[in-house]
Amino acid sequence: MSAPPDLDKLLGRTRDLTEQYLAGGVEAFPAFRELTHLLLRLTVMVEPDGGLRLVFGPRGKDRAVLEGWIESALVPLNDGRLLRFSVVLYLEEYEGRTRLKVEKSLYQYQVDERGDRWVVRYDYLRYPAEPHPGMHVQIRGALTEDGVLASQETLERIHFPTGRVALEAVIRMLVEQFHVPVNTPPEVWRPILAESEKSFHQIAHRSVSGPTT
Amino acid sequence: MSPVVELSRNDILKRIEQGARQRRGLSAEGLIRLYRAGKLEDPCEVADLLALADLLPDNDPLLVGAA
Repeated sequence: MSAPPDLDKLLGRTRDLTEQYLAGGVEAFPAFRELTHLLLRLTVMVEPDGGLRLVFGPRGKDRAVLEGWIESALVPLNDGRLLRFSVVLYLEEYEGRTRLKVEKSLYQYQVDERGDRWVVRYDYLRYPAEPHPGMHVQIRGALTEDGVLASQETLERIHFPTGRVALEAVIRMLVEQFHVPVNTPPEVWRPILAESEKSFHQIAHRSVSGPTT
Repeated sequence: MSPVVELSRNDILKRIEQGARQRRGLSAEGLIRLYRAGKLEDPCEVADLLALADLLPDNDPLLVGAA
């Protein structure tokens, strides 16, 4: 069976960009941006309105925020809803060179621009400042069983611990479970997501789910 | 839209201020102060705003003032 059109080329580009961001240095930032943008462009993101941008600030060129380029870090999706996307990236010294690291990430599927009507949110904090797990998911819903939560607590405030969740997994969830329309056939986007996610799992930082003392 | 942008301190403050007012009814300084004190309710809801503060140097008045 022959590969769908452009798949080999896209897989090659995915591998190239992965190698570039893994190589570290300042060029890792645009490579990571382009790879992430590609994953969204092939799947759930509205084009040409949507996109990701790298934001640098006064702190220097060794730190950036990758975010949706519509105000408040939003990426428009093909179902008319939005993904709030924000990832803090930095370069860490390692054996005489630098490696690209993720310090924080936020992927939030939401209905309105302000984000009051969010649906599900995945967070990753390399250095969590509160007792909640640094890797968690929150769901804005109601628990069907009464009396389980404390009286002042709501389900959306529960931080369900997760492993490190890849953007690729979030995209798959949006497509396969929330039925967000995609821009390419499954024969294209599935292998691309798989290729990229494999690399993510090889390098992804993981930690215990709460304070150790 | 350029895929790479460089924001000044004022640009960053303006975005944090605008988002904090709209979404929490707080000033930028108020948002950062509450976050750093561990008193900001569900900070993950405004993680995109807190991320922008990470682009400021550690000695920035917004961060020092909030400490």
